[in-house]
Amino acid sequence: MEQLRQWRESNERKSEEIIEIWEKSLCNNIDKLANDKHLILEQVIYAALDCHMYRVATVCLLMLSNDFPGSLRVMKLKATLLEAKEKYDEALAVLDTIIKTDETNTGARKRRVAILKAQGLIPEAIKELVDYLKKFMSDVEGWQELCSLYLQVQDYSRAVYCAEELLIHQPHNHLHHQRLAEIRYTMGGLENMELAKTYYCHALKLNPENTRALLGLFLVTNNLLSQYKSSGNSAKRKETFRLCQWAQARTAQRTAKESAAPPLDQMMLNLAITD
Amino acid sequence: MVELLLDPNIRLWVFLPIVIITFLVGIVRHYVSIILSSQKKIELLQVQDSQVMIRARLLRENGKYLPRQSFAMRRHWFNNEETGYFKTQKRTATSQNPMTDPGMMTDMLKGNVTNVLPMIVIGGWINWMFSGFLTTKVPFPLTIRFKPMLQRGVELTYLDASWVSSASWYFLNVFGLRTIYALVLGENNAADQSKIMQEQMSGAAMAMPPDPKAAFKAEWEALEITEHKWALATAESDLLNSSEE
Repeated sequence: MEQLRQWRESNERKSEEIIEIWEKSLCNNIDKLANDKHLILEQVIYAALDCHMYRVATVCLLMLSNDFPGSLRVMKLKATLLEAKEKYDEALAVLDTIIKTDETNTGARKRRVAILKAQGLIPEAIKELVDYLKKFMSDVEGWQELCSLYLQVQDYSRAVYCAEELLIHQPHNHLHHQRLAEIRYTMGGLENMELAKTYYCHALKLNPENTRALLGLFLVTNNLLSQYKSSGNSAKRKETFRLCQWAQARTAQRTAKESAAPPLDQMMLNLAITD
Repeated sequence: MVELLLDPNIRLWVFLPIVIITFLVGIVRHYVSIILSSQKKIELLQVQDSQVMIRARLLRENGKYLPRQSFAMRRHWFNNEETGYFKTQKRTATSQNPMTDPGMMTDMLKGNVTNVLPMIVIGGWINWMFSGFLTTKVPFPLTIRFKPMLQRGVELTYLDASWVSSASWYFLNVFGLRTIYALVLGENNAADQSKIMQEQMSGAAMAMPPDPKAAFKAEWEALEITEHKWALATAESDLLNSSEE
């Protein structure tokens, strides 16, 4: 009981455990719970969908819709159930009715995008999500999803825009900085590389433990060094060299700590883009 | 001066009933207001406006983490003379008169039914039913100025000011039971009258919905004068320096 509440509040997705608790103890005496009954039913439905136990989910959903006929929240659950069963068109129809009754229901709009994504219709999903973001511009999750969708279709400049939007909303999250740096690095070119370097540095400043950013920095500086060498920009080259050295030293430290790891420097050098 | 003695019947039939009545009325009011309360419908346009405002504000505050070009691009999108968001989106000023909006009218009516009406009715009834009793005495001396506050309904010039009359005892209960309600009904309950009194005081200023047109113009101005200052210019050297220390 207490456990379930704790999971619910901390948004943990321990679906299998929840189902286990449900089948062992709650299944037969759900009516004895007073206040938490409906919250627990909702939690169990999501867990059951995670584990593909549609029968359990349907039973719980029936109980909920008996208690709250016409509730939008229950309708959303119904749409999710249809979605899990891959009945996408029906799910979309349910979601459309929700949106029609309550235009500001962000959850339903986002599920529409998720359905399109699940069907593999990435361009349609992007279009839908852009429409959504036009209306709800400060939805961080939405921007994040749009960013990864753009990455899937390799539209890097638009992905950069989304990543920058994430930065505006949460400037102190090192993962956002790291993500932006990675996209810039993938795009290539001198200007992007320099920006990638800067963002990697900032990500490392925010979280010195971010190994991914550290390795990224190493790659970027390596790449920049070779570019500076060909263009003959000695002052910048020197600075970048120092940074490269520093990144290498830090990586070495890190690997020494995790002694069993293979010679990572060598592997990273192999990975580096050299032209 | 002889010490005044109160009949124990006053305690049983005046003092305690007043406490209980005020308490129960508060609880009934809580549930009635739950029944009557209607979920406020938010309009899509309103949400959109507020989200745009948030985004513009964040751009002003955190734009320094973006490269100059990206910052300029976003500002252009908001502020451009011909195509900028703040320039092209025309919002009509919302109606100033709440009387023209039927939804607002019912809200006001409900507020009056649950808040003001019981206060008048119960207050009047208590005044009529229990008038003229002294109910209790505060355990410290008070100056003569407190007499009208604590001895409403008992106009005796020579009575010590620390005696409390029944009508005043009712008012003390109305305002003093807040913590008890919080204990019984949980936080944010609707039983508390003193909160309602405060709301009525500041109600006139709060009832006016924010005007999106004016807000857009203010945000446009603020964004226009924001200068881009690249915050990550020293990120590399900062990193090197911090590790050397």
